[in-house]
Amino acid sequence: MTKAVRTGLMVALILAILTVLEYFFAVSVDDDVVRFVGLTVTALGKAVLILIYFMHFMRMFRQEEAEGWH
Amino acid sequence: MALNATTSTAVPAAEHGHHISPAKRLQMNRVGLWLFFFSESLIFGLLLSARFFLAGIDREHVDQTLGLIITIILLVSSITAYLGETAVEHGNRKMGIWMILATIVLGLVFAGGVAYEWGTAHFSRQQVFGTVFFSMTGMHAFHVMSGVVFLILAWWQLVRGSFGPGDSWGITATVMYWHFVDVVWVFFYPALYLVS
Repeated sequence: MTKAVRTGLMVALILAILTVLEYFFAVSVDDDVVRFVGLTVTALGKAVLILIYFMHFMRMFRQEEAEGWH
Repeated sequence: MALNATTSTAVPAAEHGHHISPAKRLQMNRVGLWLFFFSESLIFGLLLSARFFLAGIDREHVDQTLGLIITIILLVSSITAYLGETAVEHGNRKMGIWMILATIVLGLVFAGGVAYEWGTAHFSRQQVFGTVFFSMTGMHAFHVMSGVVFLILAWWQLVRGSFGPGDSWGITATVMYWHFVDVVWVFFYPALYLVS
């Protein structure tokens, strides 16, 4: 298993845990404001993880990398 | 004379085009794709803000179990897409083919889940929440289906022998689009199913 695969699976596990937590948080919290803020923070966290690890956002700032294009 | 003048200016331009290095071209492709994502984000951001502007945090009854299941399906499809992309980048074509195929199937299952939700919804499009729900899920499902089409095209190219280490931009860009669709759902799912 390569390092990239290990990293991807680890991120996926974190995303899955956050999704389940998000669900149970939403169904168990009564306060609308707390629920809204909690869901927003969780969604932002998940989005950042996907942007950085799955969408390779930081590659956009790497000039030297040539692989991936022919 | 005029012909010579045209030729003399055209040749340097063509030569100039050849001087774009592969790394520079890849960089340009990446920036272009991210600009596209940014413009798409404006559309989805407007839909998201319209949801709260029109309906506040109120919502009608939606199938929570179905919502959670299709969310997990889309998450799993992101994992298979990532594994497929990584496999192609590392020269494991067979693994890449199977993972991209799995992503296509999961994308279709997600779209089927949304279609089922539409068919069994307890609210109409005339209601405020119905308007935002069908608009948001409809626009997102349209992007899911266009993503499936892109994945099928990339998968077919992969089956025919295209892409590999150092030549994987087609797969990478398609998979990045798929992840973008996933990011949109990361915000739409709580806004439609969990808020209130």
